[in-house]
Amino acid sequence: MTRDNSVSRVDTIGDFIDPKLRPFIKLPESPSEKPHLIGSKCSSCGEYFFPRRAICPNCLKDEMPEDVLLGNKGKLYTYCIVKAAPLGFNAPYAIGYVDLPEGLRIFSPLAECDKEKLKINMDLELIVDKIREDEAGQAVYGYKFKPVSL
Amino acid sequence: MRTVYIIGVGMTMFGRFPESNVIELGRTAALNALRDACINKKDIQVAYAGHARTGQLYNRECGVGQSILWELGISGIPISSVGNFCSSGSTALREAWMAVGTGMYDVALAIGVEKLTGRTGKGRPLTSDGVELLTLMGFSPPIYFGNVATRHMADYGTTPEHLAMVAVKNRKNAGPNPRCQYKDPITIEEVLNSPVIVEPLTLLNCCPTTDGSAAAILCSKEVVNKYTRKPVEIAASALRSGPYEKCKDITTFGSDRLAALDAYETAGIGPEDLDFAEVHDCFTIAEIIHYEDFGFCKKGGGGRFIEEGISDMGGKLPVSPSGGLMSRGHPIGATGLAQVAEAVWQLRGVAENQVKGAKVAFTHCAGGFQDTIELGDVQSSAVTILKRGW
Ligand SMILES: [Zn+2]
Repeated sequence: MTRDNSVSRVDTIGDFIDPKLRPFIKLPESPSEKPHLIGSKCSSCGEYFFPRRAICPNCLKDEMPEDVLLGNKGKLYTYCIVKAAPLGFNAPYAIGYVDLPEGLRIFSPLAECDKEKLKINMDLELIVDKIREDEAGQAVYGYKFKPVSL
Repeated sequence: MRTVYIIGVGMTMFGRFPESNVIELGRTAALNALRDACINKKDIQVAYAGHARTGQLYNRECGVGQSILWELGISGIPISSVGNFCSSGSTALREAWMAVGTGMYDVALAIGVEKLTGRTGKGRPLTSDGVELLTLMGFSPPIYFGNVATRHMADYGTTPEHLAMVAVKNRKNAGPNPRCQYKDPITIEEVLNSPVIVEPLTLLNCCPTTDGSAAAILCSKEVVNKYTRKPVEIAASALRSGPYEKCKDITTFGSDRLAALDAYETAGIGPEDLDFAEVHDCFTIAEIIHYEDFGFCKKGGGGRFIEEGISDMGGKLPVSPSGGLMSRGHPIGATGLAQVAEAVWQLRGVAENQVKGAKVAFTHCAGGFQDTIELGDVQSSAVTILKRGW
């Protein structure tokens, strides 16, 4: 029996995503698709939120903001390079804030930690990748942004 | 609100005290404050205790104030805990100020205490309180301030040397102050060459892990003459939380700006009237931004403000003459009251690193993060303006 590596790889990644981040990430269903973050959009004022919110803080309308797939491209607002890592994380790694086209500025690990290759306002794209290890040394996956040029 | 005065302050040494517990530290600071105020313990009518990590570290979320004051024979009065991130101690002071200012009580005690050396993960940065999502993605307070520094440098030309100058100044200020954890002078080169924690912040750009406690006793104008002829007036005590703003500018803290505006308005003064300030220099970049947010200089001018020596002891507005968090250390819940104690000694003219003729002081404590992946503001900011009451 021949194993379809691309599809099984996608399935495997899903299993390794941090359970608390899992509801925010839409994995590709075929190799041609890209991952997306799942946010919400207020049906009344149109504002986007990530992570999703149960109540729009502007309108306080009864209807729940609807889940939407957010753009998987962004621009680097700022960043830093971590040399003294919290438990479970392997230094060095870069982490920063990314501006999404929907008018959101969100915290995200970055897939590049070479200072020379990171520039404020550079174009980034979303990937799903290892972000840390759990107590047993197992890789834990989450979302990350990487420079588009890579 | 009626006028409220501080009649006594007390502090412990700040440092690493593995043999002491939270109650012993708090007891020492409170007793020092009682003695400083020359007040009978029976006169204390209400008390507030600020602490932010005793629950996480010692399974003692509540009752820290009761336990400390029980040891000093103060019981039966209303005592409550105040948890508000790095502003816990300043918020305890503000609760005491409101309790007396509204006329409900005549004498109140505020205490702040924390023992951070009990935490695990030696050599790793302190994680923030209650930010589960951010923490599992690798967030820590130095990471936030590293991000702040990168953007401030890009937007305003602030340099690693500017950041280092803050550390050097505050360490120099600490020299004569026995209560500081670190007192030896450091150079710009030493700051730049210390181990990188989160680039662009090296170890000496970050405040250390510390244990300590501080306390203050407040009273109304009606009874102040019973206790002292040199009371310190609380001209303003402002507290704000982080305002919600989409895609906010990370190089300014909204809660700080709101708290400072409130405090200036209440006190009826502006930044030009201050003789010195004690600000929340948890990281050097934070102090540079505080200069801007509090109107000591214009937006983006923080780097030049330190470079030109304006915040030095001999400058127009000395900042953190006590040594600041960088040198004293930052036992979270204790810091706000330690700043107030240091400011009271300055106004009385008895500080070790005295600002000559200081009459008006500004103290500021801030911190805390929202549990959201969205860029949020610093979640608590407390500004207190103190002036000579004689
Ligand atoms: Zn809305």
